[in-house]
Amino acid sequence: MKGLRGVLSSVRLPALSILVALLVGGLVIMFSDLEVLAMIPNNPIGALGEGIGRVGAAYSALLRGAFGNPERIVEAIASGDPVELARAARPITESLLKSIPLMFVGLGVSVAFRSGEFNIGGEGQFLMGGLGATTFAIVLGGAGLPAPIVIFGTVLAGAIFGAAWGFIPGFLKVRAGSSEVITTIMLNYIASLFVFFLLSNWTLIQREDGTQPISKALADYVVIPGILPIPELRLHLGFLVALAAAVAVSWFLFRTTRGFELRTAGLNLAAARYAGMGASSSIVAAMAISGALAGMGGAFEVTGTIKQFSTVVSGGVGFTAIAIALVGGTRPSGVVATALVFGALRNGGGLMGLETSIPIDLLFFIQALVIMFIAAPNLTARIIRLPFRRKSKEAVA
Amino acid sequence: MSKSAKTNAVATHVMGAEELKALRGSRIRAFIFAIFALAAFAAATANSATIANLSLWVDTIGGTDALISFPVAIVWIGSGLVLGAVAAAQYRLGGKYRWRVGIAIASPLIVTALFTTLLAGTPANLTVLFTGTFNYAGPVAIGALAGIISERSGVLNIAIEGKFLLGALSGAVASSIFGIAIAGPIAGAVIGALVGLLLAILGLRYKVDQIVAGTVINLGAAGITTFIYLRVLQIHSEFNSPVSILPVKIPVLGDLPIVGNLLFTLSPYSYLALILVAFFTYMLFRTRWGLRLRASGEMPAAAGTVGVDVMKLRYRAMILAGALAGLAGSYLALSGTGGFGMGISAGRGFIALAALIFGAWKPWNALGAALIFGFAEAASTLLSILGVGLPPQVLLAVPYVMTIIVVAGLIGRVRGPASAGRPYEQG
Repeated sequence: MKGLRGVLSSVRLPALSILVALLVGGLVIMFSDLEVLAMIPNNPIGALGEGIGRVGAAYSALLRGAFGNPERIVEAIASGDPVELARAARPITESLLKSIPLMFVGLGVSVAFRSGEFNIGGEGQFLMGGLGATTFAIVLGGAGLPAPIVIFGTVLAGAIFGAAWGFIPGFLKVRAGSSEVITTIMLNYIASLFVFFLLSNWTLIQREDGTQPISKALADYVVIPGILPIPELRLHLGFLVALAAAVAVSWFLFRTTRGFELRTAGLNLAAARYAGMGASSSIVAAMAISGALAGMGGAFEVTGTIKQFSTVVSGGVGFTAIAIALVGGTRPSGVVATALVFGALRNGGGLMGLETSIPIDLLFFIQALVIMFIAAPNLTARIIRLPFRRKSKEAVA
Repeated sequence: MSKSAKTNAVATHVMGAEELKALRGSRIRAFIFAIFALAAFAAATANSATIANLSLWVDTIGGTDALISFPVAIVWIGSGLVLGAVAAAQYRLGGKYRWRVGIAIASPLIVTALFTTLLAGTPANLTVLFTGTFNYAGPVAIGALAGIISERSGVLNIAIEGKFLLGALSGAVASSIFGIAIAGPIAGAVIGALVGLLLAILGLRYKVDQIVAGTVINLGAAGITTFIYLRVLQIHSEFNSPVSILPVKIPVLGDLPIVGNLLFTLSPYSYLALILVAFFTYMLFRTRWGLRLRASGEMPAAAGTVGVDVMKLRYRAMILAGALAGLAGSYLALSGTGGFGMGISAGRGFIALAALIFGAWKPWNALGAALIFGFAEAASTLLSILGVGLPPQVLLAVPYVMTIIVVAGLIGRVRGPASAGRPYEQG
């Protein structure tokens, strides 16, 4: 395996990309502040100072929101009170909670990437997973089955619904040569409209008094068990399953024949076909697995975290997942690490919005920058003037 | 070759595997058309009592109405007859029959029949329906045209949505600051052109996968426009009070009864779409520039060999496409709906993408697709206003479902430019 140096060198580009993107985000914060802009003509240096101060306040809130207030954590440790400690640590567990859907969908996008497919449909697969999970949670939970069966059935239904939504573009790709980029984009919208339709018309899942497209409260039907001893910390089973899924994906991709065939199809489709590897079935399988992972993400998000299904639960997760897969180098370990970072950012963005009223949507912009820097290493090297010797040479040659 | 010709000459009734497949396909198709024809006749009997009550505005909006009333069953019978004829012709003529033409004749009848059946006698105004369709289709067609230009030059373009958003935001802000209507579209086009340049730099110079580059733009545009809206525009509404660009009545023609309201009192964007589509059809297929553009999208190496500067051509095409998409995007914020709003494009950039694929990368066809999608949108709005029991989501899904059907090759296969999406290394 790679040594420490190998790990460092593989982390360098992603880490720098995130840092530079945050810096650019800081500039955006500064130059979208009309009060700061108004100061510039009279007092440019003061304006600069004020601007930097405001960016600092925003990012400090972001960090505290993501990882907790260090003073409070130190105090809590000193006091030794477990309840106090739990409260101080809550931002961290919330960050982990936010990373669960990102891990699942990021893993899914990575599997598809490895087979040479660009799955932009994470959003739709996630929603379909949520739909499957909601439906089966209500059916199985309503039938009064034992909790483990309900949980298993719920998550499985999410995976199957997601897999079905991933299967369609994969199948169309190998059967009719339809670009998966187009079909997954269209399927995102179809999924969203379909879910909206069911949530406003299907009494089985619609909230009883509902005129709005919202599901019943799912906590009445299924409870995804928490994994921390304090109930205030909402981190649930989904986190462990996500980690297990990362291990499973890693094992599948790099330790099994099917995984090897899948990666070969992604690296060189013609070679895979020539070697008689059944590349077409690899592509379909990769898209279905990709959808299944996204669907499981949707299942856990809907039943474990939000506990109610609506069309807004996905919140751009399918697109963030593309960033995560690219930043993580489509390696499961990289995806998990990146999902943790992005989950922390998402969570911290909440406090940033509360304290400094800077909209969390800044993070989407930052994510876009991160993708751009990762995808164009030469551009990044140009911006930060750091020697990316091997990579840039490869790209130039 | 000569051997098979001989076999055919000896035994004309023996068919090759391909022919057999085509014949079987056409039999299946004939069977499906026949079932649809029967379904249409069944619908005619089921709705024998329903009368369609449609109307058109004659002179002023909301003034006198021209009423059109007819039994719905007649339209169903008409659809059934056309479908039956198509089925019979398909069965008789086999694989040679051009069934798409027949279906093209049948579809307006079927759509009318479905629409009036759904209305079930509720009076509906067609002028509203069709002007809604045209106004929706205008910017979508311009967006699709932008996609056509960039993809024909060999650069995949899934970033129309992002350009729409940025065009809408910059249009709203510029129009508010300068206080004149024309500032909005110009600002949208300028920002769009810059985004097109960024896409070109990423995709062509740094060889970023063009889908990744498009995702960057879409994601970044969604993030930054919402950010600016919440952080600046919501508090300082003076930056979000654009001069609306409302429908314009064309002199003389606009005063004609019925058609004046229907065709000649539309948003300027709709007229512009028509002009641009005609202009770029000419440019793409009748000029040297167009030939070179298409060559660099189909086989850049060959184009390069004969001395075409493929890179420069693609850069310019991307900037032009960006400008068009940004211009189209400005419509969203300037059409009198109260300026820019969060996520105002609502997937319309992807509908433009759908229109360009549905239209097989041809401007006029893409405009036709935009009109079909616009009709679906306008019909869903009208039906939900009238409280007709069809869930609006069904009609709203039409563009997406139709696009999947087309790319899946269910009704004819469409093929994009061969080299779109592939990086090109200029020697």
